[in-house]
Amino acid sequence: MATMIQIEELVKVYKGGIRAVDGVSFDVEEQEIFGFLGPNGAGKSTTIKCVIGLLRPTSGRILIRGTDVRQSPKLVKPMMGYASQETAVDDRLTGWQNLFLQGHFFHLARKEIDERGEEVLRLCGLWERRNDSAGTYSGGMLKRLDIAAALIHQPSVLFLDEPTLGLDVQTRKVIWQYIEKLRSEQKMTIFLTTHYMEEADALCDRLAIIDRGKIMANGKPGALKADIGGDIVTARFVAPEEKVSRLVQALSALPETVSVTPMGDGLQRIVARQRGDRLIPEVFALAAKNEVGVESIRLHRPSLDDVYLHFTGREMRDEQGSREEIGKARMTQRRLRR
Amino acid sequence: MTFLSDVWYVAWRELVIFVRTPVRIIMVVIQPLIWLGLMGNMMQGFAKSPMVGQMLGTGNYLTFMTPGIILMTVLFGGAFSGMSIVWDRRMGYLEKLLAAPISRAAIPFGKAFAAAIQAGVQVLLIVLIATALGVRFATGPLGLLVILLIAMCFSLILSSFSLSLAARIKSHETLMAIVNFFTMPLMFTSNALFPIEAMPGWLATIARYNPVTYAVTAIRQLTLSGWDWLAIASSLGILAGLTIAVLTLSRFLFQRATAD
Repeated sequence: MATMIQIEELVKVYKGGIRAVDGVSFDVEEQEIFGFLGPNGAGKSTTIKCVIGLLRPTSGRILIRGTDVRQSPKLVKPMMGYASQETAVDDRLTGWQNLFLQGHFFHLARKEIDERGEEVLRLCGLWERRNDSAGTYSGGMLKRLDIAAALIHQPSVLFLDEPTLGLDVQTRKVIWQYIEKLRSEQKMTIFLTTHYMEEADALCDRLAIIDRGKIMANGKPGALKADIGGDIVTARFVAPEEKVSRLVQALSALPETVSVTPMGDGLQRIVARQRGDRLIPEVFALAAKNEVGVESIRLHRPSLDDVYLHFTGREMRDEQGSREEIGKARMTQRRLRR
Repeated sequence: MTFLSDVWYVAWRELVIFVRTPVRIIMVVIQPLIWLGLMGNMMQGFAKSPMVGQMLGTGNYLTFMTPGIILMTVLFGGAFSGMSIVWDRRMGYLEKLLAAPISRAAIPFGKAFAAAIQAGVQVLLIVLIATALGVRFATGPLGLLVILLIAMCFSLILSSFSLSLAARIKSHETLMAIVNFFTMPLMFTSNALFPIEAMPGWLATIARYNPVTYAVTAIRQLTLSGWDWLAIASSLGILAGLTIAVLTLSRFLFQRATAD
């Protein structure tokens, strides 16, 4: 399969000296859903904005189907569709008017806009509501309209920056279905960023994990998760320190455990090879044997935090954004949560 | 051609939003009505004095004031058009425009053009209201056309200036503060509501260099006394020059305004 996007040693240093993207390289294949995973402030949006030409990279090279983005923006722009984190739909216009404008901004002929507009609105399930003001749409509908607008000029690659940020769980799943449909019906390459592990898991063929502007891991979700292990059991033990460390040793020796990591505050994080529920009785049995009390115990599937912990050695946290970014994020959430 | 189409669709969006906001349209009608009805009436007694009448160039204060009201409406309308950029930036719509293959300059040009059209509509409404209140325009329909042209030109100047500021300024509050800082003094150091002849010397000097004065003088000329080609041409020339200068400035600033 051909390479759609090629990013080589991309660096972006903002005016304040912040290295938002620090030597990022990866490829996205054609007709692939590629996920870019990381906390807010990790450099995801900055990378996308460099690719679509909103930001000037400090150094590095970005190729779309072999064409340099910096050298021939006019050639490359029509190949790309972009739906930003903020859901840039004008909710004072109708759904159709939003599409109509987007079509003209991409210099489509009137006839093309009519045909293609109907197609993408039907695809996103908004055709019946096209003449309603976007202000009356729900959060999920706004996001779909935004995606539809990004599709009007038939781009070969679609960039979705946090497509489900601020949406509730059901709506999120609906958006996922539409994204799947785009790939299967429109043969589109999709590049999305997210900080939801489930999203990357449900959608992406491949993903890259980015932290503080650097790529920490890159591969198929299954493979990345296999690297972490299976379920995760978090337990809080109460006992003198030497007893707890003896228990930790015994737990580590179990064939079912991959690793035991102290999380501070008496918490121990036990990664199971597969099923954590089988591990819990053994934790209790060993705790009793070592005269350690179990104050609490919790079982969960690997989440983004766990992947993060695994690949970065740190807990996931959101970087503090600028005042403007925070304002934007709040506004997006307000708009989408009604 | 594509550039003109880009400008037009940027403007189209603003105009559709304007038309779809009934409250704004009602305000556009009511505001000049209040100004003309209330202020005109209030000052009528003052204009009756023959000395004042001589300074005003007419015994009817309303006639003197109408050009001022026209300019005031255009001034405030244009000055706030930069807000739409701040809003678009917050909404993420500006990024969407920048990511599209349109010319960057089409963004401020389109928005300024939309502001000028809105200003044109407002001026027509003011003229209608003023006519209903008894104001007569000395140069007739052709003169009104020139008045419209001057007003729209002035709107382009103000809105391009405001949009240029918004290319750099990212918060509503800051932009509002700067715009207010400029508009009120611009208004009150001009001859829009008060004749230069009645001003103290220092104020008269400022007023003579105030671009608002150029526009008001030309419009007032057309309203009160008739065709004075020299005065109109020099006013129009200065306004056209300013328009080109500010449009160029906004073009320059938006060309450089990536999301950096």
